[in-house]
Amino acid sequence: MSAASTDYISANLRRTILRMAYSGSTVHIACAFSLVEILAVLYRQHLRLGSGPKDPERDYLILSKGHGVMAQYACLHELGWLSEKHIQDYCTDGTALKGLSDADVPGLEVNSGSLGHGLAVGAGLAMGALRRGTSQKVYAILGDGECNEGSIWEALLFASHFRLTNLLVIVDANGYQAMGSTAEVMNMGSLEQKFTAFGFEACTIDGHDEALLDKTITRLVKSSFSGPRAIIARTVKGKGVSFMEGSNLWHYSRLNEKTYQDALAELEKIEVGVSR
Amino acid sequence: MRNAFSSALIAAAQADERILLVTGDHGYALFDEFRHRFPKQYINAGIAEQNMVGVAAGLAKSGFRPVVYALSAFIPIRVLEQIKLDVCCEELPVLFIGDGAGVVYSTLGVSHQSTEDVAALRALPQVRILSPADAHEMKAAMELAFATPAPVYLRMGKSDLGQVHSSPPKLEWGRLLPVRSGNGPLVFIATGSMLNLAVKLAEEWPGSAVWSAPSLKPLDTGSLVSVCRPHRVVVTLEEHNVIGGLGGAVAEILSQEHPLPVCRIGVPDQYSELCGSYSYLMREHGLDLNSVRAQVHAFTKKHPVA
Repeated sequence: MSAASTDYISANLRRTILRMAYSGSTVHIACAFSLVEILAVLYRQHLRLGSGPKDPERDYLILSKGHGVMAQYACLHELGWLSEKHIQDYCTDGTALKGLSDADVPGLEVNSGSLGHGLAVGAGLAMGALRRGTSQKVYAILGDGECNEGSIWEALLFASHFRLTNLLVIVDANGYQAMGSTAEVMNMGSLEQKFTAFGFEACTIDGHDEALLDKTITRLVKSSFSGPRAIIARTVKGKGVSFMEGSNLWHYSRLNEKTYQDALAELEKIEVGVSR
Repeated sequence: MRNAFSSALIAAAQADERILLVTGDHGYALFDEFRHRFPKQYINAGIAEQNMVGVAAGLAKSGFRPVVYALSAFIPIRVLEQIKLDVCCEELPVLFIGDGAGVVYSTLGVSHQSTEDVAALRALPQVRILSPADAHEMKAAMELAFATPAPVYLRMGKSDLGQVHSSPPKLEWGRLLPVRSGNGPLVFIATGSMLNLAVKLAEEWPGSAVWSAPSLKPLDTGSLVSVCRPHRVVVTLEEHNVIGGLGGAVAEILSQEHPLPVCRIGVPDQYSELCGSYSYLMREHGLDLNSVRAQVHAFTKKHPVA
């Protein structure tokens, strides 16, 4: 099933994210950190990318939660679709990689960042694949904050009604949105129950446990369920760097020399313990 | 005109199975034949327009040619951002049909009326806007839309005003269509439902010319200037806010390329206040023959043509 030859080691991906955020002096670091393991497992073990970003038979990875785009850039860098220069020059004048997902970048499928767009486009892609009789899968990654948007719930109804069995939604449920915790801002209650009520086969798991993510994605993709599927991935916003974890400050904060070095040092330590 | 729309859609769907009709639970009788003949090419996306446009974008990305149908009060206004980000930014071949444009749904109130759709869409790069005036223009407009793999909005307004042309005209993006020739001081340029009235009105100004503007975006600068050059005053007519529609587009071009006084006839910058028949509301907004005549007389008094 594996499409890529790279390892997608999460500490390496986070280091790439840090380098981008530091060189571009950009925000949304914590939004990217929470979904690193989800993307690593998808790119390493599930996405069939075929001959490249425009292969008409490729699986689609829809980052509806465009704020996490640096995590996807880090994966595309591992994949070799983005160069070292792309990473170093991030968000500098006249460069192509933006601070939110932009479909013009090879490997990114949708324009997102205005929230609540990607899932509907993903549903259209899933329907198109079913109509063309291909085995393509659509993996759509949402934020839990993004689930405030009414268009998300429109798209869930549609996916369920039209039995889009090739659609797997993964909610990066890091528990925070821009101004505070999701519980404080707009309490969504149980997303698993809501997705189930909307006709999905849904479950909730630890979104940083790569083995469990892999096992669950495999189970849901292979399931004989007659509708779309969803994983509510419980994650930690800012995961991987102690002073960012669970602190919503790093939705908007930018790195300085000291915080950059401190964060890098923590990731170096983690890498020692990584086994393949 | 609605029959011409339906026939053109059916002919296109028969010729190309990639064409999918996606409706937001609208078009009750209009699509009976289509649903019966092409059930696999018919998708009712429910009363959920934001999702519908996103889905259409996804279908277009995977090789289909979606035709998204709704009332023009909802498409484009309710989903302007989806049209911008999901469709236009990627130049996807999605054809949007906005039905009942203007004040066609006169008794239903402002929620079902649409006099701002063209203005809102004109500022979106990539989208093209068609506004046919009769059944012949509709047939030509549908063919042009299907031949153009790009985002297109087709504005379908009051449809039972009769024919202006005697056969389907040759339609090109940006070009005006000749309706009545003349070298008098006035030229009338009308779009959609107002073309009929423009023809009647022009009879009262001997030598005046009448042109139809079915392609509101692009609007070709050279074509417009050559149409206006022989005349002293330009009168534009549209069932749309006077801000940002045909009159706005014409004035933008002429002010730079060939300055002439432009009398913009359209819905004043206001909502319909009261309920009534279509002709009642057209009167309320000053778009009946008597009101328009008075507006043109007042304008030519200010900008003498003699």
